[in-house]
Amino acid sequence: MQQQLAQLVASAQQEALAVTSRAELEAFKARVVGPNGSLTAVMKGMATLSKEERPVVGKLINEAKRSVEELLAALLLKVEDAEIAAALGAPWDATLTGPDAPAGSLHPLTRTRERILASFRKLGFTVAEGPEIETEWHCFDALNTPADHPARDMQDTLYMPKAFRSADAPRKGEEALVLRTHTSSVQVRTMLSRKPPFRIVAPGRCFRRDAVDATHSANFHQVEGLWIDRNVTLADLRGVLDFFVKETFGPDAEIRLRPSFFPFTEPSFEMDLRSPNLGRLSNRWLEIMGCGLVDPKVLEHCGLDPAEFSGLAFGLGLERIAMLVHGIDDIRHFYNNDLRFLRQFA
Amino acid sequence: MKVSFQALSRHVDLSGVTTDRLAEVLPMLGLEVESVHTFGLAPLPLVVVGEIVSFEKHPSADRLSVCRVDVGDGNPRQIVCGAKNFQAGDRVPVALPGTVMPSGTEIKVSKLRDVDSAGMLCSSEELGLGKGEDGLLILTPQKPVLGTPLNKLFGAPDTVLEISVTPNRGDCLGLRGVARDVAAALNLPLKPLTVKTPAGLAAAPTAQDAFGFVRSSSEFCPYYTLRTLKNVKVGPSPDWLRRDLEAAGLRPINNVVDITNWVLLELGQPLHAFDAAKVAGGIEARPAREGEELVLLDGKKVKLETGICVIADAQRPLVVAGVMGGAESGVTNATTTILLEAAWFKPGEIRRVARRLGVSTDSSHRFARDVDPAGVELASRLATDLLIELAGAEVVGPVVVVGQPPRTDANIALPAGYVAAKLGTAIADADVTQAFQRLGFTVSPTSTGFSVLVPSFRSDVTRPIDLVEEFIRIHGTDKVPAGRPIAPLPGDEDTRSSGFTREVAIRLAGAGFTECCHYTLRDAAEVARTLGEAATSQLALENPLTADQSHVRASLVPGLTAALALNVSVHADPRGLFEVGVVFRPQADGTVREFLAVAFAAPAESLVRSWKSREAFDILRAKRLLSDVATLAGVTASRLSFGVATGGLWQADHASSLVDRGRSADGACGVLDLRWTRSLGLKGSIVAGEFLLPRSTFADALRIPRFEAFSSFPPATRDVAVIVPTTTAAGEVLNRVQQAAAKAAGKEFALESVNCFDVFSGPGLPEGTRSLAFEIRWRHAARTLTDEEANRAMATVIAALEKGAGWTIRS
Repeated sequence: MQQQLAQLVASAQQEALAVTSRAELEAFKARVVGPNGSLTAVMKGMATLSKEERPVVGKLINEAKRSVEELLAALLLKVEDAEIAAALGAPWDATLTGPDAPAGSLHPLTRTRERILASFRKLGFTVAEGPEIETEWHCFDALNTPADHPARDMQDTLYMPKAFRSADAPRKGEEALVLRTHTSSVQVRTMLSRKPPFRIVAPGRCFRRDAVDATHSANFHQVEGLWIDRNVTLADLRGVLDFFVKETFGPDAEIRLRPSFFPFTEPSFEMDLRSPNLGRLSNRWLEIMGCGLVDPKVLEHCGLDPAEFSGLAFGLGLERIAMLVHGIDDIRHFYNNDLRFLRQFA
Repeated sequence: MKVSFQALSRHVDLSGVTTDRLAEVLPMLGLEVESVHTFGLAPLPLVVVGEIVSFEKHPSADRLSVCRVDVGDGNPRQIVCGAKNFQAGDRVPVALPGTVMPSGTEIKVSKLRDVDSAGMLCSSEELGLGKGEDGLLILTPQKPVLGTPLNKLFGAPDTVLEISVTPNRGDCLGLRGVARDVAAALNLPLKPLTVKTPAGLAAAPTAQDAFGFVRSSSEFCPYYTLRTLKNVKVGPSPDWLRRDLEAAGLRPINNVVDITNWVLLELGQPLHAFDAAKVAGGIEARPAREGEELVLLDGKKVKLETGICVIADAQRPLVVAGVMGGAESGVTNATTTILLEAAWFKPGEIRRVARRLGVSTDSSHRFARDVDPAGVELASRLATDLLIELAGAEVVGPVVVVGQPPRTDANIALPAGYVAAKLGTAIADADVTQAFQRLGFTVSPTSTGFSVLVPSFRSDVTRPIDLVEEFIRIHGTDKVPAGRPIAPLPGDEDTRSSGFTREVAIRLAGAGFTECCHYTLRDAAEVARTLGEAATSQLALENPLTADQSHVRASLVPGLTAALALNVSVHADPRGLFEVGVVFRPQADGTVREFLAVAFAAPAESLVRSWKSREAFDILRAKRLLSDVATLAGVTASRLSFGVATGGLWQADHASSLVDRGRSADGACGVLDLRWTRSLGLKGSIVAGEFLLPRSTFADALRIPRFEAFSSFPPATRDVAVIVPTTTAAGEVLNRVQQAAAKAAGKEFALESVNCFDVFSGPGLPEGTRSLAFEIRWRHAARTLTDEEANRAMATVIAALEKGAGWTIRS
């Protein structure tokens, strides 16, 4: 009996070597442990044995049964492995170049804009917008730059024809429509539509009638800032700009306010920046933006009482900041859309 | 404005001030220094006087000469030279080896075309003395001693600072004004200005005067003065005067003109000198009459705009007032009696007229910035001093004055504490008072604060806030501390469109597209291609700078397409590109509306070769992307409807339009016109999409999602296939199935979804038809639907669909 069982197990082990698929596994299982299986037959033979023989033989049968079950379990793993391998196909070479396009990227001006907006959001400034084609009043007159003011010479303006009517900037009477020369026009729209206190930043495209070269562009981007409240002071302006500059250019950057002139601020300043981390432009004063306290006349034009409210305003060029942050030497790169440039900002 | 250090020193003692310090001080006063350069001969100890003893042609270079040059050390040296304007025996500047020229080049012993050369013979330009005659600077007539350092022949060099003066600071268009600011900043006294000619006035011409009348009938000339000087000897100006003009960038002409120019530079007050012999009858500032013409000093004949202010004699206009003199009435070498004009003209009008004539003169530039009325008469007297001294002139009678100075010194009431309140920091009254006094303002205390008397030369200072700026200029902006901490204002939000602009860019970049940025200004052809020829006139600029930037853009797609073409041509392996920005579209009501546009474009088949092919970028993927963009903007899928794209950008039958039914947002996606993209050098087809959002899209408050309970019971699912003519749009069939399935559900249960899972045409179907198969899913909120209920609903759907013209149900 013992010999018979040993032989049965040995032959099952021998047979198992040939099993490669789930069907063969099932057939093999039936041949051994199925109702008509070889091991089942032996187990059935137990009934014919004597009381004394049964415990001895029973022990032998159990051992044989355990061997067969282990064998079946191993076979199942082997068959499943084969099935998975078949489903997955040949192994991958992960060093092979992927055929898919890499992720795209944001334009450096977008990155710079979002970075700037994020730092002003921390100071409670929210984003405001206005039309790119503006009325002369919003772009100049309201900002204390009447038609015969020499400050209008500071920028050459692109005009729309007399017949042009804008759905977004309805004009009054015979005033002209212009491609806005600065986003300061958004200041005016904000003051007219909202009640102080408020703090806004207005990013957007601006236009000048300028020939294109390494530092000039027919259109460019500005971020304008405005804070109107009671008792806004020059110290507040310094605080806001200092924060912005350290956020953008690092804690080592310093600023100075250099007196200047803009029709819409009084006093007016150019803000200069000096930083040790700007490559060949390190450690010298660089002009970054115009700023100042909102001129009382502008407040009046926009329906605010200068005796009650005061404000600060600033306007910076996005291209200028992006050029400094990334060390870009020619403004035209931003508009050429050569992927060898754009992909550097992925 | 060019400011010479030496000239500035006439007004303020700068003996303890270096030019570097001055270049630091000026910007912090608001006078930006654009450049600093040396005027005159810079210190060049190794440049000495030498004599060209002899010379011969260079053996192998026609243009060069080999010179023997004696610099007085008894040891003539050989120097190769390219100039032609010399003879043997000429004395010229010689830069000995070791000299660093103003250009930065160092002179070394070298070989020029194999011939030894021990130094360089110098031209005026090479020495930094400006462009003189061609060739070497010939010193022969001065008979200088050989070996004399050139610096001994020239005076000490000056430094000229080119400053940019902002439009509010007309007073700094004269040296005196700049000096006033410098003196205030450095707390130095301003040197007094001595003028000998007395301030004698006359209200009308006298018998002695060379003119019969002086009057003004122009509103633009409220104040006019005229003075007669006889026996004037016109000739060259002395060296010091020529030097001052040249340092300021002006060309000396003759002593009379030079004197008026010098006074203009000194005081910022333009003057004009007439030749009295060419003035008939008298002088009048009057409006130009219709049809009048004038030949200007620059030789141009202009038709005078009626009403502009001219200075005329009894017969004809002589000068465009404050802008430019006439060719006929000016001073020439033959002039003996001159009429010297000093006046004040209305700034806005001068600016307008100058722009109209397309000229900007030293005179118009200053008048447009409001010259000091109190300086008019002073300038006239200063010029008179010089005309007497340098041109032998004799004064005839007193100066004739018409009208009155339009402005005088202004009193500003400055409330106590005002300056400190604006600065946001504590400031002592004494500091405020002292800063104003340094600027030449007079401060006196009042019961409410101060009264500040601002002299008429500062027309820009009229309000307390202007005084704050004056104070901070002198006090220093660095003394203002950074302000209080700032807390956000509750309830303030970014505009929704700005959030969308950011999010959509991140979404598209994540989908593999690279963001581009194109100019808004495009050419007419692009607008015509996008919207048709008729739109070109609606989007044109009034005054474009160039023909390729004459219109505002109507679409972002042409820019992206051009960028794809560019990147193909530079082998930059373009894949998908996108842009977010404003475009302009003519509307039915005749207005032009601004839309926030989002556009993308990509080659249908990747242009980059790959060992494994990938799914093509087709119209359906473009549609998906565009729907995602719409959803991000708050335009839900249910509001979108797709139709047939029209217009020049899109390929017929292979593009789709889409419209937001809720607002006027619209867009398109699909294959770009193949002839066009091929003409740009793009080989395969380009698939693009663009969605245009009017500002009103973002006017709605952002919807906050509300929770709706959902069923915990399984759905009932049924399939139906409809055979329809191929001309019937799938969207139409889908709509019908949705409507029928919703109706079939009635009020008892609800339609959950209809999904098109198969589209088939071919064997087994009639010609010209196709089969669309849909899976319909219903669900009950509170129980499992029975087979019977589902079958009944399905029968209703089939009955409804069979009513469609030419539609049959496939069994």
